[in-house]
Amino acid sequence: MGIAVIGGGAAGITAALDLANSGYKVYLVEKNAELGGKMAELAECKVGLSPKIVEIENHPNIELMLSSELESLSGSAGNFTLKVSGTKVEAESVILAPGYDVFDNIAKSYGFGSPDVVTSLDFEGMLRASTASGELLRPSDNKPVKKIGFIKCVGSRCQENEICSTACCAYTAKEVWVLKERFPKMDVSVFYMDIRVFGKDEELVAELKDKYGVKYIRSRVPEVIPERGSLKVKYEDLKKGAIANLDFDLIVLAVGLLPSKTLGRLSEITGVKTDEYGYVETSITSPLETNVPGVFACGTATAPMKVRESVAQASGAALKAAILAQRTEPIPGQEERKYIEVGDEQKIGVFICGCEGEVSDSVDIPAVVEQVKQLRDVVLVNGDTNTTKEVLEAIESGIVDQGLNKIVFAGYTPREYETIFRDSVAKAGLNPYLLEFVNLREQCAWVHDKAEATVVAGDMLRMAVGRARYLEAIQIEQYPVIPKALVIGGGVSGMNAALGIADAGYDVYIVEKESELGGGLRETGELQSGEKASDILKDLADKVAKNKQITVYKNAKEENVSGRAGSFKANIVGDGVNEELEFGACVIATGAKEVAPEGYSGNDVITQAEFGKMLGGTVSANTIAMIQDVGVGVDAKYSSIELVANALKAKEKNHNVNIFVLYKDIKTYGKWEVLYKEAREKGVIFLRYETAPKYEGGIVSAFDVILNDDVQIKPDLVVLSTPTVPAEDNERLSKMFKVPLKKGFFMEAQERPKMVLTPVDTVNEGVFICGSAVYPAMIDECMAMSTAAASRACVLLAKNFMETPAVSSVVDELICVGCGVCVDVCPVEAIELTEELVPVVTFGVATVVSAMKKVAKVGDGCIGCGSCASYCPSSAMSLKHFRDRQLYAQLDYAL
Amino acid sequence: MSVTKLAYYPGCPSDATAMEQDMSTKAVFEKLGVELVEVEDWNCCGAAEVEDPELVYALNARNLAIAEKEGLDIVTPCSICYYNLERSNQALKADEGLRAKVKGIDSSLDYNGKIKAKHVLDVFVNDIGLEELSSKISKKLNLKIAPYYGCYISRPPETGFDDPDDPDTMDKLIELMGGEIVPFSQMKTLCCGGPLMMTRSDIAFDMAMKILDTAKSAGADCIALACPLCGMMLDGKQADIEKALHVEIDMPVVYITQLLGLALGIDANELGLNKNVVDTKDILGKVV
Amino acid sequence: MIKTWELDPNFKEEIMNERGGEHLTACFQCSTCTLGCPIIDYVPTYNPRKIIQMSLLGMRKEVLSNPDLWVCLICQTCTARCPQDVRISDLLGAIRRIADKEAEAGKIKIESSRPIFDKAFQHQLAKYGRLYDMGLAKEYYPKREGSFFKGMMAMMNDYKDFGMRMFKKGKMGPKAMFPEKVKDLAVMKKIFEEMGEK
Repeated sequence: MGIAVIGGGAAGITAALDLANSGYKVYLVEKNAELGGKMAELAECKVGLSPKIVEIENHPNIELMLSSELESLSGSAGNFTLKVSGTKVEAESVILAPGYDVFDNIAKSYGFGSPDVVTSLDFEGMLRASTASGELLRPSDNKPVKKIGFIKCVGSRCQENEICSTACCAYTAKEVWVLKERFPKMDVSVFYMDIRVFGKDEELVAELKDKYGVKYIRSRVPEVIPERGSLKVKYEDLKKGAIANLDFDLIVLAVGLLPSKTLGRLSEITGVKTDEYGYVETSITSPLETNVPGVFACGTATAPMKVRESVAQASGAALKAAILAQRTEPIPGQEERKYIEVGDEQKIGVFICGCEGEVSDSVDIPAVVEQVKQLRDVVLVNGDTNTTKEVLEAIESGIVDQGLNKIVFAGYTPREYETIFRDSVAKAGLNPYLLEFVNLREQCAWVHDKAEATVVAGDMLRMAVGRARYLEAIQIEQYPVIPKALVIGGGVSGMNAALGIADAGYDVYIVEKESELGGGLRETGELQSGEKASDILKDLADKVAKNKQITVYKNAKEENVSGRAGSFKANIVGDGVNEELEFGACVIATGAKEVAPEGYSGNDVITQAEFGKMLGGTVSANTIAMIQDVGVGVDAKYSSIELVANALKAKEKNHNVNIFVLYKDIKTYGKWEVLYKEAREKGVIFLRYETAPKYEGGIVSAFDVILNDDVQIKPDLVVLSTPTVPAEDNERLSKMFKVPLKKGFFMEAQERPKMVLTPVDTVNEGVFICGSAVYPAMIDECMAMSTAAASRACVLLAKNFMETPAVSSVVDELICVGCGVCVDVCPVEAIELTEELVPVVTFGVATVVSAMKKVAKVGDGCIGCGSCASYCPSSAMSLKHFRDRQLYAQLDYAL
Repeated sequence: MSVTKLAYYPGCPSDATAMEQDMSTKAVFEKLGVELVEVEDWNCCGAAEVEDPELVYALNARNLAIAEKEGLDIVTPCSICYYNLERSNQALKADEGLRAKVKGIDSSLDYNGKIKAKHVLDVFVNDIGLEELSSKISKKLNLKIAPYYGCYISRPPETGFDDPDDPDTMDKLIELMGGEIVPFSQMKTLCCGGPLMMTRSDIAFDMAMKILDTAKSAGADCIALACPLCGMMLDGKQADIEKALHVEIDMPVVYITQLLGLALGIDANELGLNKNVVDTKDILGKVV
Repeated sequence: MIKTWELDPNFKEEIMNERGGEHLTACFQCSTCTLGCPIIDYVPTYNPRKIIQMSLLGMRKEVLSNPDLWVCLICQTCTARCPQDVRISDLLGAIRRIADKEAEAGKIKIESSRPIFDKAFQHQLAKYGRLYDMGLAKEYYPKREGSFFKGMMAMMNDYKDFGMRMFKKGKMGPKAMFPEKVKDLAVMKKIFEEMGEK
């Protein structure tokens, strides 16, 4: 059997790959003729998603069912029968990932039909086109755009779509960033109501305002008026207390998200319940489970969300689905491989791919083919392919049928495609390091005009052929994977991650620095959804205690971490414990903590968390001032939600209590928007400040930018939303696990700047992050993310062996003089000096005499950075795959 | 044809300032073979001057109840009357408590929510339908027309029967009759200023001027509309606007019922085209 | 400087209890109403969003005596576009009625003649069941101008051209000079007694 994934967008692709790569049979059902979903329409995202699509298309464990739809589902968890466009599919579990649809009932008042008013999705297309042309042109008259206005909340937070679409603030910021990077002189204004971004996105918005000069203007703009060849937008200049106008060449509407139109039918077929907004109903503690056991949901099927949250949910759902299924398939790359011997005769094949126009639009490929044909040892030049699939097939057949023994590929970036291409070359029987990669798209086609690009492409290919002539087969070493995981931190995220891994059948160690499990949630009374935090903790802790595969170390810390993905070692030191543990993967779930802001003192000043607990008893205050977003630290994703939930509870207890909320941005994203509305409806007063309010002599003073006036409140209780700071231990763990921090929180690995498709992976393979260690988040997100981290860890643990990095440094012991420079420059301390018995070189000739001498020795930790090779004074140190002669050949061919 | 008989609610200006609208409405429905039965002893809908929603509901409960007894949907040529009738209809239908309260005032206000209130434009285009109309149209309007919808045809959305920002019901009808629509989309639903006529005529004149001026610049032969208050502002007061703002406009303003009447081949005087204040002779010459 | 403790925290309930004012607190101050309002081009101080925020805070006096309350066209643009269904047209109507009551009680003074007009209009309805233009003018102008004589002069000034125009077109004949009455006047009286402003 296997697992059926319904929907081939970002979430479906992620879930399918996690499952297929850990040995499960996957049926990936997509209603369109192509994979990619909505993401494929987004300029930057398409680039990031494409390699994954290629991986799926070539994956032996994935049965891709395109232009297909789910027609029926019967049976139960562990034994489902699906009908997919007439085909019967048997599966143990099902993942629903139908994605979203875009709000399309846009008011005509936005431009009255002007072609220069576009949606954010249209704008992505324009941005993509501007890559090639270098210009952003106005649709109506093809004149260059100089002034752009972005209007947010079009089709969200409104009567037709009550909830907040969550993603628009961030995607708008990203679009503006790309725009300003490409057209630095572009005049950009963004009209908004609340800027609902967190963490890195919050920094991006600050950067846009401060560094890029983007104007963020608070007004929900209801109309765009075409007037004298431009587009007029009225807004409220709150500072002047007047209505103002701005003219634009182009208006971009940041349209809201709606549940996928197919979800209604999927819900009927599967029996999965949807909520009042049309999304799959899930709970705050089980964000991936539906009401039907064995059917899971992820991504924008459950709520509007950004790509990073969506793919995290997808990884999480993959694990949940895998736990119910049998692993039946071999894991790719785990099979025995034999490579053909490369003799003296060089047979170089060169493959230039048009990359669906992205290269062929700028580079005259036939001309380059003619040039390359003239080069020595080149026996085949193919310039006819246009897609990854085509070029991979051509390469395989070149190796198998025509006996090519060196391959030069020119087209996509190696950053995302190298693994796929090496794997393909290896499958065809050639050592994967006999492949030379030329990034013709990013480094040539995207940056040069047509005439120049063809010349540069010729140069790049010549150099590549030169280097290819000196490429060597590299022996790849294997080491066994230790099927155990270490989880650092025993809060909600840590416990949930551990349970996920244990349920998948692996041993897990939880290391908690405190004397009990529970982490930050122990400080919380009731959750925003009404559940008691203590109940959730107790439930998790009970499950952990009962699970025989989980060992918990309390009051303990990890020290001396060594090893690499699949095989780590660490010492656990704590109360009477000092053990060495071995594990294949590690999940960091250290959480975060709240710090009361300074500058507000008095017996009547408390935090929202304290107020939350107070709400369990009696609240005697008649007037409460709530102050949001003051103090040093980050604004947790739950901060605004906690605030409105507490305000509501206080109003429920005593509807006469006066509550004034002083806020900067109310960030009740997604479905939480309804809590904000409820709070207003119950009479909570919201006042917006820009300069932090003061509390002196019993009076809270603030300048309300909405009324453009000073406002004073005499509260008998001041409640502060507390900023959040990272766990103290993060600094130490960051060094030990080689995972960088940003503002004290762990950073995920990014495929491209400002884009995250692997939100729980880090730059150090085998080390995963989740929960508030990454960013202080709501419980549902912590649960989804920790399941995702568990899922990613399990993909690794499912393997029998891993390969040591092929590109590593080697010492020529004959020439090494033992000076130790390499030891000093190595960033990962992988080199040491040893006394060895080596042949002695006299007058340039190796003699039969051997002697003891100091030589450098490269250990397992080498990351192949090449520092040692470039510093070595005697050229004894070299980096495999980047040998001097390979680089010199490249230079020779360039000249 | 789906519609054969309707209760007719003429509205207060029907025998005075907007008598040509009343005349043309009756003539057109007769020509179309739809019988209009005037709501017996109807009372004012409350217009824009009664702001208390429940008072509006009570006033119109009586009108609705009378039509309901006949078992007929109400049709009116006035946009404000339509808004007041239909919002009362919806409120009374939805709220049993309100119904009881209104009925408590007098048994003649006992309305059970069994009928609908309709605007003539809605009846023409959506109930009778363009296909049916097309079969009866005998003349072509060789006219450039600025279709002016005003406020209540498409707003608020609960009672509006067209797009709130860019309605096109009247456009479709005009095109069917052979008329050409001039670029006017931003003016279509902008308020004519009427409600401020008596208290801030300076603003009201400026607002009406904006609409008249746009139609003129767009080269319109006339403005078509469907509300007597808009008619009063744009037609009745046009000379006052010209005088106050020192401009010459001379823009004929006609009711859509009058235009439809012309296309159906009804005599111009029967449609009251001699009653419009700004002369309509030039228009008549272009009906062929 | 707004001192919240000197304001009237019950003002928002007062508005919400007035018919049409029920949705006041749904407002999240997004500016949609103000920015789409056709009046702002003529009365730049007019700002329904701000009137709502002041109402929420309890600035009763400032809100009720704001002359801009009376320039609203009731054109429903704000109501149609409001993302939170505040029903601003109706809401401002509710506030206007509270202001009018306040003025009747002599607590505030309203500069605008609009409440005089609206009431004169309603008096015609209560009396005749239909609009009687002459009756309306005869009540409105003297009240607005403070004396019968001044009122008549003002009316003449407004109507001399317009009236002649209408007369010429046969729109101001004897029918317009005398009220057209609804037969069942008793019910009109009852409606205004039960539902009208007390």
